[in-house]
Amino acid sequence: MTALSRDEPRAAAPSRPHRGAAALPPGAAALPPGAPVCGRHDEPDPMDWVAALHGAGAEHAEALRRLHALMVRAAAHQVWRMRSALPDPSPGTVEIIVNQAADEAMTALLGKLDSFEGRSRFTTWAFKFAILQAATEVRRVQWQHREVQWRDLDEPRASAHDDPESHAEGADLSRAVAAAMREVLTPYQRRVAVALLVDGVPIDVLADRLGTTRGALYKTLHHVRVRLRVELTARGYLPTRPARSRGGGPGPAPANADYSEAPTTHTGGVR
Amino acid sequence: MSAPRQPREPVLPPDAVDTLLRDTTPWLSCEECFERMDTYAEATVADPAHVDEAMDTHLRGCAACDEEARSLIDLLRA
Repeated sequence: MTALSRDEPRAAAPSRPHRGAAALPPGAAALPPGAPVCGRHDEPDPMDWVAALHGAGAEHAEALRRLHALMVRAAAHQVWRMRSALPDPSPGTVEIIVNQAADEAMTALLGKLDSFEGRSRFTTWAFKFAILQAATEVRRVQWQHREVQWRDLDEPRASAHDDPESHAEGADLSRAVAAAMREVLTPYQRRVAVALLVDGVPIDVLADRLGTTRGALYKTLHHVRVRLRVELTARGYLPTRPARSRGGGPGPAPANADYSEAPTTHTGGVR
Repeated sequence: MSAPRQPREPVLPPDAVDTLLRDTTPWLSCEECFERMDTYAEATVADPAHVDEAMDTHLRGCAACDEEARSLIDLLRA
């Protein structure tokens, strides 16, 4: 078994420079009491955000200030939802995570500003950047001092309790799934599946440790599920179902395809 | 003299079996999920019975995207 850990764990420290901070006017995080940030989701946006953010002068500064307030609001919402996962949920730590996530989300949004197509309200579009960043940051902090066990199916979990109940009455389906995992999955696919779905490692934490992306790991997981379902259906454990459109995506993995998708670089460090 | 203990066959917990066998077709990537999350959230808030098969399937298969979509919906409803 290999333990994956970060080479340089990032602390949620106030001294860390905020990437988005340079673009902000002084006091950007605070709105005057009662200042509108956004309206209801079914009302039109009160301002042309894209034009204002592309503009200059006072209008541009005001748009940045309002945007940052939106990001702080959404990041705070997300961190509050996940606060029980934080090793230190004190107000000071939460504030640091919120502001850090808001800054990074704002930078990400401004880099994709021209991709906004107006299919939703701008504020809703903006919120999702902050929510993604804040959730990712909480999961990172949650796991920053924990090793990810990069183990295969038959390697026991290092900290697992030897619970007789969990071994004595293994369901037939459970054994069949384990057997199928050994037979139809690559070692990389098994390890990804075990980490994400058995050991409960968050997908973006594992992606960070392996130097890959959430999307790449989800694609691996999709192939894992397709292969297991095909195998378990062939063995009579799952009902057959009519074929249907697969949405133009990667589709089922052929039995002989190399979908190991193992990343070639490991920025997270492997011990 | 007792017989030597055989290595225990690992038994997957029921929740792991359930999620390993989850049907995640039609395919939608995490990147596409993120692109569509804002319109999906607004449509869901406007109509709680709103159905988007690809998004709904992806969210059942990706815990991280699911948490973020739920959070966005809650924020819009706040």
